[in-house]
Amino acid sequence: MNEVPWSLHLLSEVLAAFSVEDPNALRTVINRVAEAVDAEVVAILQQGSISHCIGLSGGEQPLLLAHSLNHPASIDLAAGHLHTHWAPMGKDALLVVGRLSEGFNLEERSLLRAMGRSIQLSAQVLQALTAEREAKDAALRQATHDAMTDLPSRSLVLERLEAMLSGGHAGDRVATVLFVDIDRFKQINDVHGHASGHQFLIAVADVLRSVVRSGDLVGRLSGDEFVVVTLTATRQDAESLAARIIDQVSQPLLLAGKLVSHSPSIGIAFATVADTAETLIENADMAMYRAKDQGRGCYACYDRAMRLKAQHRAAIETDLRRGLRQGEIVPYLQPIVALPDRTLVGFEALARWQHPLHGLLPPSEFIDVAEDTGLIVEIDTQILRQSCAILGGWRREHPEHFLRLSVNVSGRTFVDASLPDHVAQALESSGLEADNLYIEITETMLVEDIDSTTQVVERLKQLGIRLAIDDFGTGYSSLLYLKRFPVGILKIDRSFIDGLGTDREDEVIVKAVIGVARALDINSVAEGVETELQLEMLSELGCDYVQGYLFGRPCDARTARELLKSHGPLARSTTAGH
Amino acid sequence: MTVDPKAERWVEVGSSIAADLAAAVPEALAPILAAGQPKLVLLFCSPIHDLTRAAGLVADQIGEAALIGCSTAGELAPDRSTCGGIALWALGGEGFSVTTGQGQGIAGSLRQAASDAAHCLDRLERRAHTVLVLLADGLCGDQMEVVRGAYDVAGVDVPLVGGCAGDDMAMQSTQQIFGRQVLSNAVVAAAISSEAPLGIGVSHCWEPLGEPMLVTSSNGTSVETLEDRPALDVYLDAFDAPDEVRRNQEAFASWATTRPLGIRRRDRIEIRYVSGCDFQSRKLLTIAEVPQGALAFLMLGDAHSVLEATQMACQMACEGLQGAPLRGMLLFDCVARRSVLQDERIQEELQRINAVRGDLPVGGFYTYGEIARTKGAGGFHNQTLVALALA
Repeated sequence: MNEVPWSLHLLSEVLAAFSVEDPNALRTVINRVAEAVDAEVVAILQQGSISHCIGLSGGEQPLLLAHSLNHPASIDLAAGHLHTHWAPMGKDALLVVGRLSEGFNLEERSLLRAMGRSIQLSAQVLQALTAEREAKDAALRQATHDAMTDLPSRSLVLERLEAMLSGGHAGDRVATVLFVDIDRFKQINDVHGHASGHQFLIAVADVLRSVVRSGDLVGRLSGDEFVVVTLTATRQDAESLAARIIDQVSQPLLLAGKLVSHSPSIGIAFATVADTAETLIENADMAMYRAKDQGRGCYACYDRAMRLKAQHRAAIETDLRRGLRQGEIVPYLQPIVALPDRTLVGFEALARWQHPLHGLLPPSEFIDVAEDTGLIVEIDTQILRQSCAILGGWRREHPEHFLRLSVNVSGRTFVDASLPDHVAQALESSGLEADNLYIEITETMLVEDIDSTTQVVERLKQLGIRLAIDDFGTGYSSLLYLKRFPVGILKIDRSFIDGLGTDREDEVIVKAVIGVARALDINSVAEGVETELQLEMLSELGCDYVQGYLFGRPCDARTARELLKSHGPLARSTTAGH
Repeated sequence: MTVDPKAERWVEVGSSIAADLAAAVPEALAPILAAGQPKLVLLFCSPIHDLTRAAGLVADQIGEAALIGCSTAGELAPDRSTCGGIALWALGGEGFSVTTGQGQGIAGSLRQAASDAAHCLDRLERRAHTVLVLLADGLCGDQMEVVRGAYDVAGVDVPLVGGCAGDDMAMQSTQQIFGRQVLSNAVVAAAISSEAPLGIGVSHCWEPLGEPMLVTSSNGTSVETLEDRPALDVYLDAFDAPDEVRRNQEAFASWATTRPLGIRRRDRIEIRYVSGCDFQSRKLLTIAEVPQGALAFLMLGDAHSVLEATQMACQMACEGLQGAPLRGMLLFDCVARRSVLQDERIQEELQRINAVRGDLPVGGFYTYGEIARTKGAGGFHNQTLVALALA
C-alpha cells in the first residue's frame, strides 16, 4: 500500500455523502469518516453534548465529554485504549475521532482537521438547502392541500382527475367520483363550536382515507364537501364504496364531550368520454343533491336529467338573488280571526315573489332553491322586516288597534344566531312591541334542533317574543318543550281541520290539541278553515283563533289594510297575553 | 472430578445433499444431536429446497436451541463443498451463551433492520469474548448499511462477522431464517459470548491491476465515472474484455466475477464485487457502496491467490484464539471465489481449510458478500473469505 500516498481523496469521499435527498446524511458522513481512517469511534460534540456518535454505547459516550477539555486524550475502554483526536467544526462543535490500534499521525490529523471544517460548512449548506426545500415543499403542499385535513384540495383533485381522464383506458374500469357532503354540518358548528366542527371534518377525512383502496384519491373541495376519486368496474363497486363510507362516517363521534352522529349524502358519477374533471365533479355534486332529496344519509348516481334540473335550479337561484336585491320578495298577509266573535286580530306574513316577468310566484316556486342555497335566511329576514314595518305603520295610524303578526322562519334561519338581532331591529324600526310579534316555526324544528336553537330561543324570550308552533300535531312534540319554551300559539294543522265534520279521529285530535293549549295557557289557531261547519265546530271546541280562505287568502299590504279598515278598531286580546 | 472440555463448549457441523428434506435434515442433524443439546443452530440451505419446511424440520428436532439461517449459493461442511444441499453449524455447552434477533428491512435499506437484529446483544449474558454473527439479504440495497446498522448497536466492543444470503447465482431473491420464520429483505443475527477466545480471519489476496483511479461520480452501488470517464468503458478497456462481454449482460456478469473493484482503505484494499452493468448509461453496478471520491483499483486474482487467501484467513482466525485450542470454525466464503476455483480445484480449498482445522468441525456457506468488522467501523467485504474460529 505504500506506493499509494495517503491522500485528501478521503475528504471528497466523506463529503460526497452529503445529499439533500438523505435526511440522515450526517450519520452517513460520520460512518465514512470512521471507515476512511479506520477509526472505531467518531462523534460530533456540540455545545457540551454529543449530537452524533458511533462506536460507543450510551454508557460510554460521557467519557468523550469528560475529556473534551483535555484533548488529544487516550480514553480507557473495555476494548482497549482509545486514541482520540479532536478537530474543530466552527466555534461550537468538535469532530472527535478515536482509534484503538494507534494514534493519528500528522497527515491524518491534518486530514481530520480539514474534514471537521468541511463537514461543518457542508452541514450548514445542507441545512440551508434542506430548509429551502422544506419551505418550497410546504408552500407547494399549502397550495395543493387543505391545511386542516391535509387532504388534496380542489385544484390538486382536478389536476389528478384530469390526468386520470386523459390517461386512457384502465382496463374495464372507469374513473368514478363520489361527492361526499355531510348532512346538516352547520349544526355541528352552531351547537358544538367551530373547533368541534374542525375536529369532525378531520375525523371524516381519516375515515375516508381508511375506507378507500390504496391508489384512490380523497380530497376536500370546501367546507364539508369531500370527494373520492376511484376506478370502478361496475356500478355496484361504486355503490358498495358509497355504502361503506356512509356506514363509517355515520358512526358516532365524541365531540366536546358529546357523542355526535351525522350522516353523509353521496353523489356518484362515472366518467364518460366527453367528461372533463370539472364536469365529472359537477355531475357527482348534482347526484349528491338527489341523495339529499331522497332523505339524506344515502347515495344516488348521476343521470342526465339531473343536469337539466340543476341548470333550471341554477337559473332560479340567479334570478332569486336578483329578485332579493330588487325587493321583489314581499310579504303577503293572511288574516287571523278570533272566535267566537270573528274579529280580525292579526295576520300571518307569507313570502311571495313579485316577479317582473312571471307575475306573483308562490313559495313552492322558489323555496327549495332558497333552502339549498341559504338564501332562505335573507328571505326570512326581509319578510320579517317588511311585515313588521307594515304593521308598525298601521299601528302609528291607529294606535288603538292591537294587531298580532306571525312571521314564518325556516329551520336554517331559526338556528342562525343573528335571528334575535334581526327581530330586535325589526321591532325597533317598526315601533311594534314584542307582544305584537310571533315567530312561527314548525313542530319538527323545535324538537330536532333542540340543542342548536336553545340559545336563540333564550334570546328571543329575553326580547319578549313568543313562538307559534306550526303544523302542531303532525310531529312528536314533547309537552315539556311547550312548557320550557316561550310558546304563545299552537297552530292546528290544516289536515286535521279538513276532516272536521267528516272524520271522527280528526275531531278528536283537534279537540286534544285545543285541550293541550288551554292546559298550558297557550292560544290555539286553526289553519285552513274553509267552511262554516268547520268554523262552527272549532268555536264549539273552544279554539281561540282561526285562519283560512273563509276569511281571506293571503293578500298584499294594501288589500290587508282595506280589510282592516272594514273590521274597525280592535282591542287587545285578553287571552293572548303571557 | 475432571471436566470434559467438550462438555463446556462444543461446535459441530452436519450436512446433506439428499434431495428430500425429510432425509437431508436428519442426516445433517445427526452429528449435532450426537454432540448434545445445541444452543445455537445455523441452517445454510440451498434455494432449491423449501426453506420454511427445512426450518420447521430442524426446529422440530433441536428443542430450545436458537435457529437462524439463510439461503445460499453453495454450502460448506467438513470435506464437502456442496451446491443444492444443506449445512447445519451448531454450538453448545455451558461455556457459550447465545441470543438471536431479527430485523425486517424496507426495500433498499437494511440499516435499521441490522440495528434491530443486533439488539439481541442487549439480552446476551456477556462472557469474556463476544461476537455478533449477521446473515443479511444479499440483494437488498447497499450492504455497507448492514455493517453500519449493526455497529450502531454493537459498538467498538463486539466484532461482527457474517455473510449475505445467496440464491445459487440466480440474483433474484434471497431468504433469511429466524426460528421457523422465513424472511426476505431482512437481517438475522446471533450474538455469541464465550468464556474462551474467538478469532476472526479475513483475506482475499486479490491484486491491483495498475494504478488506482478516482471515483469521480458514483451513487451508492452505482459507479458512474472513473477519472471522469464512463466507468464501464474504463473497466472493459482495462481488462481488454471480449466482444461478447461488451454486449451481453450474462456474459458480463460471469466475466466480472473474477474482476472486482478494490477500494483503498488505510492499510488494505476492500473488494467490491461487480454484479452487473448498464450498457446504456455505461455504469458499473456493485452490491456495496463505492463512495464518490474514493480511490478504486481494478483487481485481478487467480486460483492460486484464492487458495492462498483461504489458508491465510483460516490461520488468522486461529491465531486470534491466543493459543487456546480450536473447537470449530464458521466460514463465509464469497461465491465469486468458488467461480475462480471451479469444480476441479474446489477440493484444494477444502484441503487448505483442513490444513488449519485438522479434523475439527468447520462449516459455512457461499455468500453474496462477507462481513468482518474487527477494527475501525467498516467491515463489509466482497470476494473474500471470513473465518470465525471458536476455542
